[in-house]
Amino acid sequence: MAEYRAIRVEKGSGGFGGPLTIQGTEQKNKVMYITGGGVAPEILNKIVELSGLEPVNGFKTSCPEDQLALVIIDCGGTLRCGLYPKKRIPTININPVGKAGPLAQFIKEDIYVSGVTDANISLADGSEAPAAAAPAEEAPAEEKKGIDTSKKLSEQMAESGKGNVLAKIGLGAGKVVATFNQAARDAVQTCIGTLLPFMAFVSMLIGIINGTGFGTFFSTLLQPLLGNVFGLMILGIVCAIPGLSAILGPGAVISQILGSIMGAEIAAGRISPHLALVGLFALNCHAACDFIPVGLGLAEAETETVEVGVVSVMYSRFITSWIRILLAIVFSIGLYTAV
Amino acid sequence: MDFLVKFASAFMSVFQAGGANFVSWVTGIIPTILMLLVMMNAIIALIGDERIEVIAKFCTSNPITRYAVLPWVSAFMLGNPMALSMGKFMPEFYKPSYYASASYHCHTNSGIFPHINPSEIMIYLGIAQGVTALGLDSTPLALRYMLVGFIANFISGWATDFTTAFVQKQQGIKLSKELIAKA
Repeated sequence: MAEYRAIRVEKGSGGFGGPLTIQGTEQKNKVMYITGGGVAPEILNKIVELSGLEPVNGFKTSCPEDQLALVIIDCGGTLRCGLYPKKRIPTININPVGKAGPLAQFIKEDIYVSGVTDANISLADGSEAPAAAAPAEEAPAEEKKGIDTSKKLSEQMAESGKGNVLAKIGLGAGKVVATFNQAARDAVQTCIGTLLPFMAFVSMLIGIINGTGFGTFFSTLLQPLLGNVFGLMILGIVCAIPGLSAILGPGAVISQILGSIMGAEIAAGRISPHLALVGLFALNCHAACDFIPVGLGLAEAETETVEVGVVSVMYSRFITSWIRILLAIVFSIGLYTAV
Repeated sequence: MDFLVKFASAFMSVFQAGGANFVSWVTGIIPTILMLLVMMNAIIALIGDERIEVIAKFCTSNPITRYAVLPWVSAFMLGNPMALSMGKFMPEFYKPSYYASASYHCHTNSGIFPHINPSEIMIYLGIAQGVTALGLDSTPLALRYMLVGFIANFISGWATDFTTAFVQKQQGIKLSKELIAKA
């Protein structure tokens, strides 16, 4: 009877996972939505229209799992978002939620996509294998069915009428809350994943430096460099020497250690806080010199551009380093001078 | 025996000093950073990437928007390293320059907006922590870091136009200054 076309679903802004390719079959021909207490999500119309799948309201009725080609949910990151991925049923979450909740480990890019809006849904161009097996033949007759289905849907929406305003507010509020919740999750992850390890690492170094008396030795060694304008200028320019700058770059580890040491020296009163701004620029002259090929790759640069760019950026870092530090010196006027 | 005891206590004191430092950072730095990260992540998710791309296409035409406005906005919205991806809207010739500017922006703005580059934040925080320890407010430092950075990063970006032209000649390659439409 009905014909099914493969659709491609990409993640929306702030979303996770995908792109998924959904292909309905004779057996797997239903899309179930479990959203907003039974209100059809906005994206449902387009999905039904494009794919030819039959919509099922998960709040009103249920559907055997082996008939489900797709599930649409609006989970804020507690349970549902992991439930269907766990059963390996392709899942769209209209909220921008990533790997979260007790079933987070099942939420993977190949079965789950989130933050989806109408703009993220399109017909698959056929270049990607469908997430659900067995492709079906295409036929022109299906368009009629698509329109019919969507009409029914809009009728459905019209029938429920004014209740929808409330539901819309509810859905909107739910989305904002889910967005903040996900933002918090990401933020905590950043703290645990990158900030705390680095703090622990540098703290141990500082412990060794301070606890062994090495600090006094080390700071007398670095004092001439970190403790005055000229030293910082020299440090900045030397760090930016092409080639050396790329070696000193990775993870900004060296800069971060020097920054922490300089801070400790400022706190101890051995370096004037007036130099803080100059220090920031001096320690940063060689920033990202190790990252140039990757960074240009992110900008989708051609191979020749990368070849030229790597050298060019290192040169410009070197050439402009003294200008940056000079600017910092000039703009340090009046900064923490009262101390 | 005395020697052993002394050695052991000296050994432990190293890690106690490190631990004390760690605790002061965790209680002094993490809470504020965490709250800022939550807020910034949420704002960015609510505004969305699509709108940034519209701005990006708009900004490629002249040096000021290319090396000052766009990298600033991208760094703020996308953070390190995704801010660098906005270079894809540039003609090939300008991509290195955009990189030069945007990667600096991921540092100089991180004093006020720590979400931009949390994994390399200790350059700023290390120094700022010292200033705070003296009972001074670190806000002027963060603000100046960003403002001076705004000027300096523009210069660094623009200067790369010239070094690119130079290296291009050196290597006998010619990069396009025209934007080639991508499919």
